[in-house]
Amino acid sequence: MRPETLRRFGKGCISALVSSGILFAALIVTLLAFGLPIVPSLHLIVDGAFGDRFGMSRTAVKMTPLLCTGLAMIVAWRAGIYNIGGEGQFIVGGIVGAWTASFLPHDLQGIPATLSLVLILVACVAGGSAWAWFAGWLYVRRGVAVVISTILLNFIAVQILGWAVSGPLQEAKHQVPLTEQLPDALMLPKFNRQMDLHAGVIIALLLAVLVYVFLFLTKSGYRLRLIGDSPNVARANRMHVPREQLKAMVLSGALCGLAGGIEFTGMTGQLGLGFSQQWGFLGIPVALLAGLHPLAAIPSALYFGALFAGSENLARFTEAGTTIVYVIQAVAVLAFVGTRSIASRRDAGRVEDDSPTETLVGATAGGTS
Amino acid sequence: MSALEIRSVSKRFGRVQALSDVSVQFNSGEIHAVLGENGAGKSTLVSILAGFVTPDEGSISLNGIRVPVGNPAECRELGIQLIHQHFTLVPQFSGEENLALGSFRGLAGTLDLDSSTREAKTIAERLGWSLRLKDRVATYSVGEQQRLEILRALALGGDVVIFDEPTAVLSPDEVTDLLGVLRRLRDEGKIVILIAHKLSEVLAVADRVTVLRKGVWVASDIRDNVTSPMLAEWMVGEIPALQEHPSYISEGTQGLAVEKLSVKGARGEVAVRSVSFNVLRGEVFGIGGVDGNGQLELAETLVGVRSADSGTVRFGDTESSPYISYIPQDRQRDGLAMGMSVSDNLLVSGIDHPLLTSGPFLRPSAIHTWANGLIKKFQIKVESLEARVSGLSGGNGQKVVVSRCLDRLPDLLVAVNPTRGLDLKATQYVHEKIREAAALGTAVVLVSTDLDELSAICSRRVFMNRGEIMDGPGAEALLGGSEAL
Repeated sequence: MRPETLRRFGKGCISALVSSGILFAALIVTLLAFGLPIVPSLHLIVDGAFGDRFGMSRTAVKMTPLLCTGLAMIVAWRAGIYNIGGEGQFIVGGIVGAWTASFLPHDLQGIPATLSLVLILVACVAGGSAWAWFAGWLYVRRGVAVVISTILLNFIAVQILGWAVSGPLQEAKHQVPLTEQLPDALMLPKFNRQMDLHAGVIIALLLAVLVYVFLFLTKSGYRLRLIGDSPNVARANRMHVPREQLKAMVLSGALCGLAGGIEFTGMTGQLGLGFSQQWGFLGIPVALLAGLHPLAAIPSALYFGALFAGSENLARFTEAGTTIVYVIQAVAVLAFVGTRSIASRRDAGRVEDDSPTETLVGATAGGTS
Repeated sequence: MSALEIRSVSKRFGRVQALSDVSVQFNSGEIHAVLGENGAGKSTLVSILAGFVTPDEGSISLNGIRVPVGNPAECRELGIQLIHQHFTLVPQFSGEENLALGSFRGLAGTLDLDSSTREAKTIAERLGWSLRLKDRVATYSVGEQQRLEILRALALGGDVVIFDEPTAVLSPDEVTDLLGVLRRLRDEGKIVILIAHKLSEVLAVADRVTVLRKGVWVASDIRDNVTSPMLAEWMVGEIPALQEHPSYISEGTQGLAVEKLSVKGARGEVAVRSVSFNVLRGEVFGIGGVDGNGQLELAETLVGVRSADSGTVRFGDTESSPYISYIPQDRQRDGLAMGMSVSDNLLVSGIDHPLLTSGPFLRPSAIHTWANGLIKKFQIKVESLEARVSGLSGGNGQKVVVSRCLDRLPDLLVAVNPTRGLDLKATQYVHEKIREAAALGTAVVLVSTDLDELSAICSRRVFMNRGEIMDGPGAEALLGGSEAL
């Protein structure tokens, strides 16, 4: 290994330690604010998340959608396009998947079943990307801010979900607002019948590696990062900025759609009003905590996944509901982003100190020669 | 008779002496033009008068009373009003609301539009202006916006009105109107200071002229004593002759051919007017002129960042598309991606390099070796390839841009003020590299506001003025001559 690589690795380790410290402190503060005893509460959380194989399974299945939507945010945000519509893209992905499933015969086995599963997942990807494409198109062609359009499209997606599960996609008996349960053969394989853990977690981990390779080891990924960092430089080098941003948006939507598909075919097997437990939104803190790095998104998603699994346990034995996990998340992200921005402002200040004359000269004089 | 007097004012920004020992007296009932090229120190002088910049040395007095320096609010209070070159209006506010901003006294209390704009309205009446004060400023023409700016400044009262390059954005008709306003203010007995670089306007309206060059006072005289060639020579001194260079132009090679090219600017105005020229391989073609005369738009069109309105840009034999490199003027904005590493910034031009990529993938180790090679070859001082480019000094940052532009020898190199803000050594270095590229067969277009730079490395030189190319060696070509107003 080059010394430079080693040094960066060391820096990364320190930064990870600091981040963990901040997250832990945020957790403690929240517990204190809820008036919960620290040590027993932490014990319950850790126990619920990692205490036995069931806990670990719970952690893993909560991590899976978080990781996928987190990666989706990373792709879009790296391109400088602030997709807040993960929730909508997740839901639309699920709806299109369920809709596709409704055409498939339910008694498939073996290879046709596997192909059908793939088809459903592809449909989910298509649904998510189409939803994101629309917001991207509005931005590129009409100048509509992506933050606004994606948030509004979230609401529309939720309404469509409500309509679909009590209308066209409702189960055959028309009693509850749910879609037909997917047969086991069309679900993602499970590792153990007693546990929720499904193959989706492997897909999610693979995706993290793929997104890493895409962003840092391909030409398109490089262009995407360049455009996100400096659209002006990209433009001055004859890159088509809006087109690349639209691509990034579609890719982001595809990841959210796939997240919806994995949740559908891995966990729920049917769609209801509570299909997404804010997974699309929660991808944002996951991405931020990871510093928009796809591999760092793995521990980041793991942390939040464990927090979800652990706080379910906490809620079971104390008066705090599972809502506490949202509070912990919010506190953690605010603390984290806050300290980060202080650090980066410090860095920026240092750079400016290096060349105060530089900017002044540029602004006031034509040249020095 | 009142007078504004500045005595022995000096100001230094870092390495640049913006003003040194400048003394001028401005009298009431006079339009006093301050002329100078880019970087002559006009803007610094204005900023000092308006209190935005504190001079290192010297003093200012109004009617014998010392004006506190470096305090914009007090300068306004004393009656020194500045009409900014770039408007300081809120487009979403109505004209009236913008006027009220001038007398805004903080957030407490209620806003009484009528009383706070009464003064401005009286002045508008006196000047015979009818402005749509209830309409949003966004719907105003440029000329109307300027009138609003002027009203707001005059409403604050006072004897001194400074116009900082007021005609830069105006149409010819609006310029005529504005000059009328200047005369009127003079006749009312105000001290009118006009900062300008266009000889024709100055000669048309000024009563007295002061010329600055590179921060130094050159001359002051009354209008009747000066002529256009005189002023031009005061402003630029002698334009340095082109230095002799061995010619690298090889016979029979076709370079860049620009024909009747017209380009629209960002605000839809015609920035480049039917420009035609040729640049052969091996030639460094210099385009000089004062900033904002269409050079930037022309350069961007040549490299394909901006599209032409009419006319053609062709390069040599049209079969294969030429490899074009572009050194943009604004390094921090268009040259470097500040949040990315040195390596990533070099890769901007290497991304299509067949050795650095295979299919859709990058080859990190090849890129590493290549980037290291560039750093050695161009002597760029970096902590590491992975360090953020924002941590580099200006010179090293520019070297990153230059090195990636010249790594693969381009067919056409377009460079806009490539040495702005660089020290002498870095400047020489960039010049050397540009000459070197030309020697190897690149056609170079160098856009620069720096006359020394143009004469140092160009084989041919023209000037741009109001979007047109002015041929000729003299200062009048550079400054746009003296068309009558």
